[in-house]
Amino acid sequence: MKTASDLKIGEKAIIKDIDNSHFSSHRILEIGFTPGQEIQLVSSPLFNDPIALMIRGSIIAIRKSDARCIII
Amino acid sequence: MSSQTLNKIPLISLVGPPNSGKTTLFNYLSGKKFKTVNYPGSTVEYSISKILSKHAVNADILDSPGIISLIPSSPDEQLSVNTLYSHPKFGKPDIVAVTVDVSQLSRHLYLVKQLLESNFKVVVVLTMTDVLYKKGFDISENKLSSILNCKVVRVNGKTGKGIDSLLTVLKESLNEIEKDSAASLIKADKHHKTKLLESYSEIEKIEKEVLFETDQKSTNGKIDIQKINESIVVLNSAPKFLKADETSLKIDKFILHKFWGLIIFFLIMALTFTSIFWLAAPLMDLVNDGFSFLSENAFTLLGEGLIADLIANGLISGLGSVLVFLPQILILFLILGLLEDSGYLARGAMLIDKPLSKIGLNGKSFVPLLSGFACAIPAMMATRTITNKRERFLTIFIIPLMSCSARLPVYALLIAFLIPQETPWIGGLLLAAIYVFSITSSIIIAAIVNKFSNRLVKEKDNTSFILELPAYRMPKPMRVIQETIKNGKQYVVKAGPVILFLSLLIWILTTFPNYDPVVPVSPDVSPEQTEILKSNERMSTSYAAYLGKFIEPVMAPLGLDWRVGVSLIATFAAREVFVSSMALIFKITEEGDDMQNSILNSMREAKIGDSDQKLFTTATTAGLIVFFVFALQCLSTVAIAKKETGSWRIPVLQVVVFTALAYVFAFVTVNGLRAFGVN
Ligand SMILES: Nc1nc2c(ncn2[C@@H]2O[C@H](COP(=O)(O)OP(=O)(O)OP(=O)(O)O)[C@@H](O)[C@H]2O)c(=O)[nH]1
Ligand SMILES: [Mg+2]
Repeated sequence: MKTASDLKIGEKAIIKDIDNSHFSSHRILEIGFTPGQEIQLVSSPLFNDPIALMIRGSIIAIRKSDARCIII
Repeated sequence: MSSQTLNKIPLISLVGPPNSGKTTLFNYLSGKKFKTVNYPGSTVEYSISKILSKHAVNADILDSPGIISLIPSSPDEQLSVNTLYSHPKFGKPDIVAVTVDVSQLSRHLYLVKQLLESNFKVVVVLTMTDVLYKKGFDISENKLSSILNCKVVRVNGKTGKGIDSLLTVLKESLNEIEKDSAASLIKADKHHKTKLLESYSEIEKIEKEVLFETDQKSTNGKIDIQKINESIVVLNSAPKFLKADETSLKIDKFILHKFWGLIIFFLIMALTFTSIFWLAAPLMDLVNDGFSFLSENAFTLLGEGLIADLIANGLISGLGSVLVFLPQILILFLILGLLEDSGYLARGAMLIDKPLSKIGLNGKSFVPLLSGFACAIPAMMATRTITNKRERFLTIFIIPLMSCSARLPVYALLIAFLIPQETPWIGGLLLAAIYVFSITSSIIIAAIVNKFSNRLVKEKDNTSFILELPAYRMPKPMRVIQETIKNGKQYVVKAGPVILFLSLLIWILTTFPNYDPVVPVSPDVSPEQTEILKSNERMSTSYAAYLGKFIEPVMAPLGLDWRVGVSLIATFAAREVFVSSMALIFKITEEGDDMQNSILNSMREAKIGDSDQKLFTTATTAGLIVFFVFALQCLSTVAIAKKETGSWRIPVLQVVVFTALAYVFAFVTVNGLRAFGVN
């Protein structure tokens, strides 16, 4: 199962689902990561964590452990 | 009619997602000058004010911390949601004005929908339309208004355009409440996923209806083709109208670069702290000269005597010694202000999240820790954006170790001893070294405390980091300067009265009861020498010397005497008092033939007791610096730590641990240096 944490820099993907069992899943949905939306990994600085995702025209920095509940 | 509208003036609550322009709007309406920052989570406390009378709307306006939804996930959001449903003092708001950053329309409409569903009387305020315009789009507020079935106004936070129409709409809405029977509020509960997804798909439809491309960009054929291609790619999903800010993406290619990102981060931090010293030096000289001149003239004007002594040595040098450091503090706030406005802070938080998570902190600790370099009090409040309680408490715990601006004068004074007068640039390096030392120590202390943090506070391991990176903006010089002046004023107002009072007290303690001691007169002693003998005698029989006998045993292991001890005690009122109290004690106790001796010179010459041993040597000065790095000498910090953590546990622990560390490390420094032959 591929998640947003597996994206490479510049790579785009469409969100398939959000994993409900993750404690951040509700917040992640609320800020607009909904199935069907396109996301793109715009930067991943040193340590590759957190990563910056583009969603709905905004850029969100998110830890990989949180991004793992975004299934693509 | 709701009960509270009968007997008190109506309340308008400003709510909205973080960084959407609430405080900017609040300032326009109330005439206040609260801090607006290009960082999501800059407001962490609500503030309330009457709308300016010139606006002719008789209502209170309330600014609140940003919220993403009505389900809070951190203490600052909790506070906002609580004030929305029922503020303990002001009750429920009559109107909720929601700010919506139109350049992120869909994400920000989610909260609007929740508020409408919960039966709040909503007025939607569209902000950042200038940003939307730059992206090649515009919005129809009429369409949005009819779809949402509530009032919609457009406001430009940069120019203030649209505030008038906002006021008109607020007035209308207030009149309507009088007629409406207030619908009862529905508590929002945690949305089910399906419900949430429904909301978002409705929002996507709304977005399609209300946003339209402006001519400006649609005449540009290239972009159109690109757009068409994109809508093919995302055929099944909602059409993606808005793209992220292109310029910010480009800047982030460097700022968030794998390799350069961290280097730029450290460069920015290093420049911030070293420039405090370099930029301020010429200004400090100016202030210093000014006060020396005043002190000199006080003597010529008033003649030698008790009153002249009090004014020149007590008040003028006391105040002067504190004002000398005002330029440094102004520069610190200036630089922090520029960083805040640019949008870099959120990037800094992101870059440092990984290392901080290793010691039990969070990327969101970065902004509180950084503002700890200005003052611990707002810094501790800023931790409210941290979701995880354990991370939040640990951040609060180490904030006092950040060198707050009140310590700056102390370091500056002590550094001046350590470096040769002709090479001031070394001072900048030394100050930077002190900052590095204090940061390193706090990292180590955080790592150690983190090991025991389960005893500090019990909390699940659900740590996360999700932070919006706002678009970069050109800092607004006026705002930054205003904020800087405000902080400078606070420094003077806070330290001023305390210094005056303590100056007076210390002057009395060191001058009396034996103001005019009898000294043996002999022909081979010149009148000047008699004066010196007299002042020495006056000092050693003064109240202060008597008190000092108690402090002496504690100070002696640090190679210091009671005079420094008295100053250290004074610092519990406010750290910056150290400088003025030192200035005072040493000018009085060490005055030689030169009345206008600068504080530095009198301290350079100071000896321990009657011996020939210099008081301020490299070793003892370094020891004092180390003492100040650790010691928690600030009652307000203790009080705010109690308030923010809800118990005495953390503040008491802080006082005990940091005072012990300060003393032990100062002792080790002094005696360690001496062992290596550095005196
Ligand atoms: N370009 C532009 N910038 C704006 C506008 N309104 C506000 N800003 C800027 O946006 C940033 C955030 O504004 P604030 O008023 O602090 O936002 P807030 O909603 O109070 O933010 P939090 O307290 O963090 O929730 C600041 O840098 C403002 O100067 C606007 O209409 N256009
Ligand atoms: Mg605000």
